[in-house]
Amino acid sequence: MRRHAVDRYVDRLLGRRRPKPFAATEEDLALVRTAIDLVAAGPDAADPGPAFVDRLRRELRESEQAQAAAPAPEPAWRAPRRRRLLAAGALTATGALTGAAGDQLFARTEGPQAQQPAPPGELIPAVGTWQPIARTAEVPEGAVVAFDLGAVAGFVRRTGGRVQAVSGSCTHQGCRLDLDSAHRVLACPCHGATFDFAGANLTRPRQSGEPLPALPRLPVRELDGTIQIYAPVGSQPPRPSA
Amino acid sequence: MPAARPSALPSAAYPDWEAIYADNVGRIYRLMFAKVGNRPDAEDLTSQVFMAALGPLRAGAEAAKVRAYLTATARTVLAEHWRRTLGHQVTEIDPEATDLFDQAPGAAASDNAAAGARAQRILAGLPERHRQILVLRFLRGYTIRQAATELGVTIANAKVLQHRALRAAAGMEQKAEKEGEAP
Repeated sequence: MRRHAVDRYVDRLLGRRRPKPFAATEEDLALVRTAIDLVAAGPDAADPGPAFVDRLRRELRESEQAQAAAPAPEPAWRAPRRRRLLAAGALTATGALTGAAGDQLFARTEGPQAQQPAPPGELIPAVGTWQPIARTAEVPEGAVVAFDLGAVAGFVRRTGGRVQAVSGSCTHQGCRLDLDSAHRVLACPCHGATFDFAGANLTRPRQSGEPLPALPRLPVRELDGTIQIYAPVGSQPPRPSA
Repeated sequence: MPAARPSALPSAAYPDWEAIYADNVGRIYRLMFAKVGNRPDAEDLTSQVFMAALGPLRAGAEAAKVRAYLTATARTVLAEHWRRTLGHQVTEIDPEATDLFDQAPGAAASDNAAAGARAQRILAGLPERHRQILVLRFLRGYTIRQAATELGVTIANAKVLQHRALRAAAGMEQKAEKEGEAP
């Protein structure tokens, strides 16, 4: 009997191993199809293994966090405080328009970069300074701390050893978000929107059909035992609040 | 494939991503396994489906829409897999049939029932010896040695028998498809 590539393909299916690609004729394809139909009724066709299910869950969680943490290719805008308010309004409107064009959930499906209703980028003031908002010791792993520099307010947290900061203004209508530690969300007192600590929108106001844009991320660093936010010059003196 | 039983489409919403995952990972995996026939590929393709869907899917999404979206993604991922490996769409996912099917009660059981029915149809038209070797090797997971012992032949003979049986089955399937296409 001559051994063909397709036989090796079938052998690997039966051996529960990954089959290897080969240049298949039409007959080969029919054979592979039949073999798959038969194997699909066999003993190996059961639920996925728990190890695989756990591993993928973990990978998805990490991927989600990486997406939330990935810096946008370009800052959304560079503008001083006054213009930033206008820009924030425009951002929300853009998000709503984009979403309205598509299906409620799946407005964009092209790729991982096209998944946010409106890529928030980082808020980077054109002219600013690094301003301390908390001591390193005040933000241990897993903690979330609110801060208010006057011009910029938000929340800083530590995850995976690194600090992250997001804006504290709701992307719906700009209300100041509250830290809801019990439910581990940032909650808007105005219309009930909530965000996770990475800034992703969790729930949206009832009348808003689209997910809200994520909270913009703020430039943050740790230096000499303090956590600092890059904020426009002329901000009020730091007033850390927990 | 047996006709899907009509059932109310679930309209409940998933509270979070974990719920979407927990409720759909088994279904997508079984779907992929039925289409590629091996665990490593089925796991890879399942991963690809969820990775691709991670961003576009949001918490608060309606269950039926999420399922339909995942199935559509699976269809694309599977097509890409075949394009990359054998260069032809060997198997494909029919979203309409799939969605109706697995929203019926007892989806896991009916997945297996569907696969079983397809296999039985393939086997039904074969001569007894061909049918036996395929049942032992594919449906019962016997090794070639175990199958040879069971059938009272040498290993070499069992290999030849399996080879011929599978070709005969595939030939019948091809013929049935062509007749199905003819008016």
